[in-house]
Amino acid sequence: MGQHSSVKSDDDHSAAQKGAQTGALLKRLFQLSWRYRWNCILVLILQVCILAFALGGLGFVGVGIDYLRQQFDAEVVVRGPFGVHPPVDWEPRDGMLLIALGVLLVALIRAGLQFFYTNSFAKLVQGRIVVDLRSQVYDKMQRLSFRFFDANESSSIINRVTGDVQSVRLFVDGVLMQSVILLLSVAVFLIYMFSIHVGLTLACLVPMPLIWFLSASLSKRVAPAYLRTRQLVDRLITRIVENVQGMPVVKGFALEQEQIRQYREDSKALRDHQESIFWIVSVYSPLITFSSQLSIVILLAYGGHLVIAGEIPLGTGLVVFAGLLQQFAGQVANIATIADSMQQSLAAARRVFEVLDAPIEIESPAQPLPAKKLHGEIAFENVSFSFKQNDSVLEDVSFHLQPGDSVAIVGATGSGKSALLNLIPRFYDPDKGRVLIDGNDIRQLDLDVLRRGIGLVFQESFIFRASVAANIAFGHPNATQAQIEKAARIASAHEFVTKLRNGYQTRLGEGGADLSGGQRQRIALARAILLEPAILILDDPTAAIDPETENEILTAMDAAMEGRTTFVVAHRLSTLRRANHIIVLEHGRIVERGTHEELMKMDGHYRSAAMHQMADKESRRLLEQYDGGAS
Amino acid sequence: MKEIAGIVAEPRMEDEQRSYPEKLDFRMLGRMLRYTRPHKKRFLLLLGITILRSMQLPALAWAIGAVINGPIAGGDTPGLVRGILGFLALAVFTEFVMHFRSRLSMQLGEAVMFDLRNEMFSHLQTLTMGYYHRTRIGRIISRITSDLEAMRQGIQSVLFVSVVQGGQMLFSGLIMLYYDWLLFLIMMGMAPFIWLINREFRKRLTKANRAMQESFSRVTATLAESVGGIRITQSYVRQEVNAGFFRNLVFDHSKYSMSGARATSIFMPLLELNGQFFLSLLLLVGGMRVMGTGPAMELGDLILFFFLANLFFDPIRNLANQFASAINALAGAERVFELLDTKPDWQDPDDAVNPGELRGKVDFQNVTFSYIPGTPVLKEVNFIAEPGQSIALVGHTGSGKSSIINLVTKFYQPDSGSILLDGIDLRQIQSTALHRQMGLVQQQNFLFAGTVMDNIRMGKTGATDADVIEACRSLDSLDLIEELPDGFQTQVGERGTSLSLGQRQVICFARAMIASPRILILDEATSNIDTITEARTQAALNKLLKGRTSFIVAHRLSTIIHADLVLVLENGLIVERGNHTSLLQANGVYAGLYRRFAKATTA
Repeated sequence: MGQHSSVKSDDDHSAAQKGAQTGALLKRLFQLSWRYRWNCILVLILQVCILAFALGGLGFVGVGIDYLRQQFDAEVVVRGPFGVHPPVDWEPRDGMLLIALGVLLVALIRAGLQFFYTNSFAKLVQGRIVVDLRSQVYDKMQRLSFRFFDANESSSIINRVTGDVQSVRLFVDGVLMQSVILLLSVAVFLIYMFSIHVGLTLACLVPMPLIWFLSASLSKRVAPAYLRTRQLVDRLITRIVENVQGMPVVKGFALEQEQIRQYREDSKALRDHQESIFWIVSVYSPLITFSSQLSIVILLAYGGHLVIAGEIPLGTGLVVFAGLLQQFAGQVANIATIADSMQQSLAAARRVFEVLDAPIEIESPAQPLPAKKLHGEIAFENVSFSFKQNDSVLEDVSFHLQPGDSVAIVGATGSGKSALLNLIPRFYDPDKGRVLIDGNDIRQLDLDVLRRGIGLVFQESFIFRASVAANIAFGHPNATQAQIEKAARIASAHEFVTKLRNGYQTRLGEGGADLSGGQRQRIALARAILLEPAILILDDPTAAIDPETENEILTAMDAAMEGRTTFVVAHRLSTLRRANHIIVLEHGRIVERGTHEELMKMDGHYRSAAMHQMADKESRRLLEQYDGGAS
Repeated sequence: MKEIAGIVAEPRMEDEQRSYPEKLDFRMLGRMLRYTRPHKKRFLLLLGITILRSMQLPALAWAIGAVINGPIAGGDTPGLVRGILGFLALAVFTEFVMHFRSRLSMQLGEAVMFDLRNEMFSHLQTLTMGYYHRTRIGRIISRITSDLEAMRQGIQSVLFVSVVQGGQMLFSGLIMLYYDWLLFLIMMGMAPFIWLINREFRKRLTKANRAMQESFSRVTATLAESVGGIRITQSYVRQEVNAGFFRNLVFDHSKYSMSGARATSIFMPLLELNGQFFLSLLLLVGGMRVMGTGPAMELGDLILFFFLANLFFDPIRNLANQFASAINALAGAERVFELLDTKPDWQDPDDAVNPGELRGKVDFQNVTFSYIPGTPVLKEVNFIAEPGQSIALVGHTGSGKSSIINLVTKFYQPDSGSILLDGIDLRQIQSTALHRQMGLVQQQNFLFAGTVMDNIRMGKTGATDADVIEACRSLDSLDLIEELPDGFQTQVGERGTSLSLGQRQVICFARAMIASPRILILDEATSNIDTITEARTQAALNKLLKGRTSFIVAHRLSTIIHADLVLVLENGLIVERGNHTSLLQANGVYAGLYRRFAKATTA
């Protein structure tokens, strides 16, 4: 099954292979990031500047304190960052003013930088990466063959374009850039701290591994627990959804109390599970905070000793160190976040790349036959087909239709009716045999030309959130109003459409909720007719319509079938009889074929099913009593 | 989504306009807090702990400053050791309290959520079908999920975080006031600016976020449509056009995201700048004074201010955030309570009776009924179904067939007239007692997640596996179920094995069968079922119908022909009644319907 097998067999892969896969994934993520390198570099430079100015600001405060101490104790030496400090021969008052202005100036520049940083960052991430990725995934998704949509739930596909794309871009900003920033800032902090005092730096860093270890271990323990929470919550939601959707069953069988009991059980399971998470979190988080306070204790003890011994100054030494230590601890805790983001983006990248890499199984040939209007002669030559390997849905199916013929396909659920229809517009390709249109293998035709030549109506027609006119003109967005009306008239839709509030401009709701089943199907028919296709495929179009209302659409179908090669899947005799050929499928094979009359003469499936729907003799006699010679 | 219970279409309530309140509603707040009452001990303990904690944080900062000021600046090594031990003890105590603070609050939140979500679910069971008809399922789900989550934040954090933050501000303020009133006043002067900047920022950000969410929901809606309609898109070769639309939407969304970022990019630096401004004022004013200009000040006190200032400034932003989540929580609470306050459209009267074993005579007397007041869907309907009779309901969509079923099942109450069951007015009969003797098979053959066995067992609480198997055997359908991959243990429902329509229907038949109902309701599938399966399930259906009063929205000819009474409905009126033969002889509406049918089917 193409791309899916590679995902499914993930579990079987050895760890080494998985590692290689992750490696390949990382490589691709790097390539993705490389595409945005200039923006990334700009953002990084801004970030480094901000960092430098933050340190500068802190340094100035330290200088201020030492400068003040110097006024009382001439022995105190003022060592500003990068050797910046007020000239010794200045008035103390002016010196202080200079320092205060220095702090303010640095802060102003930093604020400006931050403004640029935040905006450039958003532009890079939200304005470029996400937009590009979303458009790419959407574009690709639309071209994927139906097998992809069979194999994936729609919510999962939607998620790939929304959530997963955000997680993939997280690799660029949350992993890659954060790591660079982390490395740079740790380096800068370390250099700065080492320049103050090597021993003190090392001593204060002792609790850092502990903080890192605790945060890593917390997220390791909590991550699976949160996953479980999500499952439990999902289970509760499923219960509610089922309960509400099945409310008539619940009420009809007096199941209310039973439902409440089950819900409470699940609800309690969720609560108990949450308790366990609360314990983990409420034990770890104070431990982590405490570890960072240990650094402060060491700083006060050792640093205090050094100050007392006169080895480091109080301001640029101890106070600045305290400030640095805080920021440093923040960066260390960041490692855990980066690791989390990494996991998250790798998992999402797998899903996104799965879409982007999925082979488009069905494409136009490199050199299609010159485009011609289709006539509608169709032949199946020994066609076999399966959705899954070794589970054949069609076996050795052959038939031949002349332009304008109509054929009805009959069979039980799973007998291969829809599969047969799906092969004609090449939604799937057969495993064996050929499908010919006008004598050419359809795999040699341009795909768009082929599909434009075929009109399709499904069991339940998809109505888009758009006007009636836009829905009819779906396949031909530039159609004129006259063309749209003409199609609607043929599909017997014109009359009811003009009665809608805004006629053809009436907006239809999600799923076309405002229309009845019969009306929806007639819109769908008009949609097909507008393209004036040579071939018309009707996949059980009356399935969701009351028999009493069926008439509305039968007339429309008759008009639509006129002059087109038509395939129709149906169960009702009323529909079947409209075709001049009938094919009965059973387990993917054609078991009966012929006209209605011919098949009625045979003692087969068709006849027994048809008899079931036919008026019995007695009823007919009663009717004819009144009909007289009228019919 | 399909209509529930095949009820005729009725305009649904418009999606609620999300209101964004700006003020605290104290009544709502009170009602929300009332849910903590069963957990009063935990609540009070937590409140005590948070007050304690609000003192601890300034105390820690003060301790650092004090150690630097005193022993370190003064060169007093034994004092340094004492100071550090003191700080260490304080830190241990603080984190010890933190453990309880965080655990108790999460537990309190979850306990209240547990109570509330159970209460909501139980309440949902008491509401009548009318409510479910009017309300989109998505709304109900978001009540129990996102709105409850907003309330959780309100209960477990807003109050307690506010106490900690407010206390922290107060205590650090007091310490600073104690050490130096002038610098304290300068600091107080800064506070309003932070407050104003923050308010403005929040306003803009909320606006940007709202626009962002709206544009995002357009993105997802379009996406969902594209996935759902992919077959149409590909067959009509619309990929290019759709991609263009989508790109515009995504672009639009990113524009809103960036405008949100712009708000952040202006205000966050402004806020920080404020703090830095104070710092430089502190250096200047404090420094001058330390050096002898103005009222005297010690260098140590100045250093202390560096440590305490943040403890005073940070809560301002934090409190504003808490206010926003309080508003959010109250908005959630309002919607949650709205659901809890929804009264069922009607309830069984207190003196409702349990009719005991039913015979199954149903008598409609002048029944008029409407979903929307003023537009009756049944008008003065009269008929009698004798015990054991099968009644076929025939008519166009909207003619009132389903409404009759909705009344017999007591899912709705008639506007006027009455329905007598074995001579007792349906209004006077306990709903649960009625439903225990009723079997229901719906058009969509709804199955719950679980095994086939579980689903059939739902018909009768306490039914054994043997009962279930027996029910299927009596329907002659045992083989159909045993054919499934895991037989009776096959998982069905949303994520289960996909069953064919025939299999689903047989399971629903069995579910009704095991209930051994006196009254059977059957909303037949239209032509969703293929002719070959139909022949198969027809036999099971006949067994199920045998000896029970049954109401059938009939689409199959065979059902109609064998019905004891056919009611032909048109616009809420019974226009014809009788059996198949007598109706054909009458040569009226039914004969017309049938004639069209016969013409379509006869050779």
